[in-house]
Amino acid sequence: MEEKNSPNRTLRFQRRAILKMMMAAPLAGWMPLASLAAEVAKAMPGSSVAGEHASDGAADTYQPKVLNPHEWRTIQVLSDCILPADENSGSATEAGVPEFLDDWLDYQRGELLTEIQYGLTWLDVECRRAFHRDFVDCTSGQQEQILDRIAYPHKAAPEDVRVVVFFGHLRDLVLGGYYTSEMGIRDLPYLGNEPQASWQGCPAPVLAKLGLI
Amino acid sequence: MTEAMLNSNLYDAIIVGSGAGGGMAAYNLTKAGAKCLMLEAGGWYDAARDSKWLEWVYDAPHRAGASATQPFGGFEAVVGGWEIAGEPYSNAPGSDWMWFRSRMLGGRTNAWGRISLRNGPYDFKPYSRDGKGFDWPISYEDLAPYYDKTEELIGVFGSAEGMENLPDGKFLPPPAPRCYELVVQRACKSLHIPCIPSRLAVLTRPLNGRPACHYVAQCERSCRLGSNFSSPATLLFPARETGNLEIRSHAMVREVLTGPDGRATGVSYIDKKSGQEVQARAKVVVLAASACETARLLLNSRSPHHPNGLANSSGMVGKYLMDSVMSDVNGFFPSLMDLPPHNEDGVGGMHLYMPWWNYRRQRELPFSRGYHIEFDGGRRGMPGLGVLNGSERFLGEGYGLALKQKSRRLYGSFINFHGRGEMIPNRESYCEIDGNAVDQWGIPTLKFHFQWGEEEIQMARHMQETFLEIIQAAGGQVIASSEPAKTGGISRGGQAIHEVGGARMGSDPETSVLNPHCQAWDCKNLFVADGAPFVSLADKNPTLTILALAWRTSEYITAQVRAQNV
Repeated sequence: MEEKNSPNRTLRFQRRAILKMMMAAPLAGWMPLASLAAEVAKAMPGSSVAGEHASDGAADTYQPKVLNPHEWRTIQVLSDCILPADENSGSATEAGVPEFLDDWLDYQRGELLTEIQYGLTWLDVECRRAFHRDFVDCTSGQQEQILDRIAYPHKAAPEDVRVVVFFGHLRDLVLGGYYTSEMGIRDLPYLGNEPQASWQGCPAPVLAKLGLI
Repeated sequence: MTEAMLNSNLYDAIIVGSGAGGGMAAYNLTKAGAKCLMLEAGGWYDAARDSKWLEWVYDAPHRAGASATQPFGGFEAVVGGWEIAGEPYSNAPGSDWMWFRSRMLGGRTNAWGRISLRNGPYDFKPYSRDGKGFDWPISYEDLAPYYDKTEELIGVFGSAEGMENLPDGKFLPPPAPRCYELVVQRACKSLHIPCIPSRLAVLTRPLNGRPACHYVAQCERSCRLGSNFSSPATLLFPARETGNLEIRSHAMVREVLTGPDGRATGVSYIDKKSGQEVQARAKVVVLAASACETARLLLNSRSPHHPNGLANSSGMVGKYLMDSVMSDVNGFFPSLMDLPPHNEDGVGGMHLYMPWWNYRRQRELPFSRGYHIEFDGGRRGMPGLGVLNGSERFLGEGYGLALKQKSRRLYGSFINFHGRGEMIPNRESYCEIDGNAVDQWGIPTLKFHFQWGEEEIQMARHMQETFLEIIQAAGGQVIASSEPAKTGGISRGGQAIHEVGGARMGSDPETSVLNPHCQAWDCKNLFVADGAPFVSLADKNPTLTILALAWRTSEYITAQVRAQNV
């Protein structure tokens, strides 16, 4: 995930270079570091990335570590079912969620990987039973028909409980992966991680909306 | 980064551990001219070089997510945890103590919450007040000057409130509250619960050459600029500038060595890099290895003169172990949905908190001591993998566009409440050497015994009820709580990482390990400067008291050495 190609790369490289400069800075005193921090602040204002809506992901170059090619394809389709593109931001795949998921499964291994692989297989089994093809080859309407069985715990059939749990975990991971991506952070939006010269407290428009002024 | 490994120096003092207590001892002793050797079991850490400050989550390996070996994720300045490979411990049947150990220069002060609360007058004399537990051999007045000096050195923001048993300090101005904090404050006002500026060791003004905070809510990563307190940046590096401090990292101390007269002569440690056993000699030994590690060291330092372990003629080493009572509830607040986007980072911690407010009602309650409330939430801090976890109930079910739109609306509308309460020390909570079990260096390990008392359970239950009241008064709904029912959702012992006791101070050598100056009754040139001397654990987080106490102990050491009494 770290070295992926993306339109943001230049900006990121710049930011890294600044951080590197900070790391190399002598320990002689605090002020030079403080002025570097001001440079960091200057180099990474939220506005500088505002115009950017292109792909965060790198599906073309990423080599999955634990998922096989079919599982990888399924995870991509499934992630985009969970978080599709809308007028504000791109889809899970565009945000690099499948890459995150594969890396995370490789990192955690164990029961989580088993559970995800079980769930992906279940989707194919059910799709073949109903539509005679794998999940990824189904129409979006057919995919939704299968997902609707497992995405609503209160309505789900008792025999599907294991795969309902799978879907809940996968959805948490997709949400986590999406909203920790550069695209997702802008989608929320999280406006922090910007060094401030002083702290202003809660802005007036928010105070007003909360009835605090 | 370690200095020369072998030398036959006779140091004025050896300090074991480089956290809050060890750092403060080194700072004071070196400034008084003493040649000190500090031994740290972990590796070197310098936030100016090693901190992950400002790094984006999407640039971090595995999105900085938590794992068994990194319980707080990839960003926090933590090396160590509750489980460390090669360094086991055990629990007696019925106990489930969690022993947190830090293995890095500066210990937990790199990542800690910076909450800096003074113990009040009641907190030093709890037995006199309610007949439970034990009094300290010192009073608030004894420690107050050292709280003053510590706050002036490290920098603590806060506000003068003049509240009961909540002494005001030498404060820097507090930062303005965040939006969600104001919502909670308004609810607390209606419930007559005080919600006041918190007291954190974070600079809101430049101090002693350190710049003020840049407000990116990342104190737990340790501050690259030194704008909050950590032992390396605030104490150890300045102490080294005196030329009197030598620090050896990767030095795991096995035992304190004593001479035929029973006095400490130095320590024996394992140089973890070479695996060699090394002995270092000193006129004074200061243990600041963290409460349980200090107890372990004492118990492992057996000699003909100290057959039950060093400084243990009372049998009190390892006894009366304590940790803070914790219980949590998370709430969802519809009023925080759809707010205009805003930066809510602030300092790396809460700007407001609720100190204990029921001193006058204590007799009506089913527990004798107090707790305070910490809370976080809103849009504070960089989103992590769990940013929308557990919100399923409010995200609704399903997937697709509706899920995405709802996620955006729900972001920032959660607030989590955490209680931190006082545990009454009990006889059933202690550590001891675990038979013949040893760690990877052959050092005998600890076995823990730990029990909450009924009052702690009642306190946790009260926390849950109070959090519920606050959430309701603020127009919210409870979404998750820490397994309430029977136990009030009480934490496991050690989970708060506030463990103290195990070498308590006292005025009677029969019932305490240390005298009122944290000097071992049985060994005049042995001192303890971490949380082990604590006689009780107030609801106040222990670090500020560890620092103030270590300062006082250091001054005493210097005076005693000058008077040739040790």
